[in-house]
Amino acid sequence: MERRNFLQLTMSSIFARATVGAFGLTTLAPRAYAAVIDKTFYITEGFITQITGENVYFMGYSSSSLELNIPGESFIVQEGDTVNITIVNTLQTSHSFVIDGQVDSGVIAGGTTKNISFIATNSGSYMYYDKLNSPYNRLCGLHGGMAIMPRNSANELYPGSPTFVLQKFWIFNDIDPIWNSMVQNGLTPTTPFIPRYFTLNGLGGRPPGAPGNADPTLDNMHDPRSALHGHIGDRTLIRVMNAGMAQQAVHTHANHMEWLSKNGQIRPDIWKKDIIPLDGNGGQIDVIYPFETPPDAWPPVTTGVYPMHLHTEMSQTAGGGFYLFGSMTDIYFE
Amino acid sequence: MGMSSSSTCYVYPASPATPGIVVADVTYNLGIDMQIPLTMDNGTVINMWGFGNDTGGMVNGTFPSPPMRINAGTIVHTVLNVQGMMWNHTIHHHGIEPADHADGVGHITWDVDGIYTYQWRPVHPGTYFYHCHTNTVLHAEMGMYGAIIVDPPEGPGTLISANGVNPAVTYDVEAFWVVDEIDSSWHTLPWNAGTCGTDVGLNNLNPDYFVITGVDGTGTSAMNLAPISATVRLGQKLLARYICAGYHPQHIDFGGLIGTVYSSDGRNLPNPIQVTSLDAVSAERYDVIFAPTQIGEYIITCKIKDWITQEVLGTIRTNVIVTA
Repeated sequence: MERRNFLQLTMSSIFARATVGAFGLTTLAPRAYAAVIDKTFYITEGFITQITGENVYFMGYSSSSLELNIPGESFIVQEGDTVNITIVNTLQTSHSFVIDGQVDSGVIAGGTTKNISFIATNSGSYMYYDKLNSPYNRLCGLHGGMAIMPRNSANELYPGSPTFVLQKFWIFNDIDPIWNSMVQNGLTPTTPFIPRYFTLNGLGGRPPGAPGNADPTLDNMHDPRSALHGHIGDRTLIRVMNAGMAQQAVHTHANHMEWLSKNGQIRPDIWKKDIIPLDGNGGQIDVIYPFETPPDAWPPVTTGVYPMHLHTEMSQTAGGGFYLFGSMTDIYFE
Repeated sequence: MGMSSSSTCYVYPASPATPGIVVADVTYNLGIDMQIPLTMDNGTVINMWGFGNDTGGMVNGTFPSPPMRINAGTIVHTVLNVQGMMWNHTIHHHGIEPADHADGVGHITWDVDGIYTYQWRPVHPGTYFYHCHTNTVLHAEMGMYGAIIVDPPEGPGTLISANGVNPAVTYDVEAFWVVDEIDSSWHTLPWNAGTCGTDVGLNNLNPDYFVITGVDGTGTSAMNLAPISATVRLGQKLLARYICAGYHPQHIDFGGLIGTVYSSDGRNLPNPIQVTSLDAVSAERYDVIFAPTQIGEYIITCKIKDWITQEVLGTIRTNVIVTA
C-alpha cells in the first residue's frame, strides 16, 4: 500500500496545541440565544513514541494537517446551536465522524473533505468517533469529546441537575500496539486484545523522577486538560468516556464522586462513590468531584495533592511494567 | 530498558514524622510478611504477601490482612513498620479520605522504609479496605489488603443509625464476601518488579485461582465456613459486606435471596434498592441486608469476568443457611 510520509512526532509537539486550546473550554458563558459553531478537524496519522521507546501507530481528529491530536480537541456547545463541522480526510482510507443521536457523516473517502451540520439537542456528554471499521479506528485514536450544555445554563449537566463550577473531559483509552499496526496495514486484527498502554486524554503518567515528569504535554498528572485544580467548593463536572475496550473502575482520592449519569442515562438517584464503573467500548459516566474538605483528615486540612486513577490496576502500567505510567491524573486542593 | 527485573525505580523511601500527630483512640501496629502460604483446593501452595500484627518480632501476616474495626469519630493510628533495607510498602485506607500525608500513595509521596504513622479519623460508617499503594498493581494482587469496618456510634449490629423519621438499620449476623482473583504467574515476582520498565506482564492479569475472604472459593471450602458463610434464623437479619477486591469485574448472585443495599463505598444510598444480584468493579463495596422469609440453603455465587471480553474466568461459591 502506498502511504504518505507518516508524521513522526514526540508527545510534546502533538499535544502543545491541544493543551492550549482545550484549556479555555472549562468554563462557558450561558447564552439565551442559539449560536453558530464552526469547527474543522483534519484526520491525520503518525507514530507516537511510548515511554518504553516503542513507536505506536495512531490516527486522530487533529486541529491541523500537521498535527496528530489524540483525543481530538474537546468542544462545548449549547442546545439549539447550529454546529457546522468540516472534516478533512488527509489519509487514503475511508473514515467517518459520528456523534450518536446528533450527526453521522457517512463515509468520508480518502483524500476528500466533507461538511456536516446539525442542531444540538439533548444536553449531555457525547463522544465523537469514527464508526467505520469499528472499533478499530476509534481505538487507534479517532475519538474525542463533545458537550451540549442546557440552553441558557453554564453550570448544569442537564436542566435541574446538581450544579458545578468547572468542567473537564476524561477520555480513557487502552492500546494494543499489535492491533494498531494491523490497522495501519489495512488488516483486521485477529489476535486477542491485550492492551500494553493506557492513557487519559492521550497521555500516560510520568511519576516524579521519570523523563517528562511535570511536563503538561507528556505527563497526564500535570496535563491541564486532565488534572483537577480547585479550592473548597469548586465543584467540577467530569465527562468521563472510554474509547478503549476494557471495563474500568474510576477511583478518586480525597472526595467521593457524585454519580450523575451512566451511558447517557440520568441515574434515578445520585450516589456518592469512591469507585464508579466505566464500561468498555464506548462507556460513559458523568460525575461531579465536589472539592469538599477531605472528611477523614485529622487535624482537618483544606489543601493537598491526591490522585485519581483507575483501580483496574493493570491500567496503571506501560509495556507490562512501569507502574504509574498509565491512566491517572492528580487532584490539587489549592 | 536493559535493567534487571529486580531494579527499583521511581520509589521514594522515607519515614517522616507525622504532621499534627495527637494521641490516638485506637492504634493498629502492622508489619510486613512476604511469605504467607495459601493452600488452594488442588493442593497448590501460592505465596501471598500481607500485613500482620507487629509485636516487635516476627510478623505473622495473614491473607487477607487483619481487619480494622472502629467507630466513626475515632482517631486512628495505623503504624506501619517496614524493614526498608529489603523492600518498601505503604498503607492506603481505600475510601477513607484523610490528609495527603496520611493517604499512603507511594511513588508520588513516599514509600515507607521504617516506621510511619498514618493518622485518620473516619466520619462515615461503612465498609472500606486498606491496601499497599507501592507498585500497587502487584502488591494488592499479592494480597496486601484487609477490611476496614467503620461502625456507627452504636457499634456492631447497627449499619445505619436512626435518623429523623428513619429507624436504625440493624442486623443480627454478619458475613464478609471479599472476592478476588489470583494470577499465580505473578506470585514469584520481586516487590519492585517492572518499576524500571522491564516487561513483567503486569498489563495482563490471567487469573487461575479465585478466592473469597482468603479461601479458595471454587469448590466447597467456603461453604459452611463463617464468617464467609452465614447461618440465620427466620426473623433475623444478615448483613453481607461485599468487597470486590480483584481487578476484573464481578457479578454476584444471591441464589434466590432478595437483598436490600443500604450503602456502598461507605456512603448511604439516598433510597435503598432491592436486588437479587449485583455487578461490581475493582474496589467497590456494597452493604447488603437480607431478611430471609423461607428456610433453606441459598448458594451465593460470584462470577469473575474478563475486563475486556466479559468472559467468565472463574466462579466462587459460598452459602447462607436459613433455619426455623
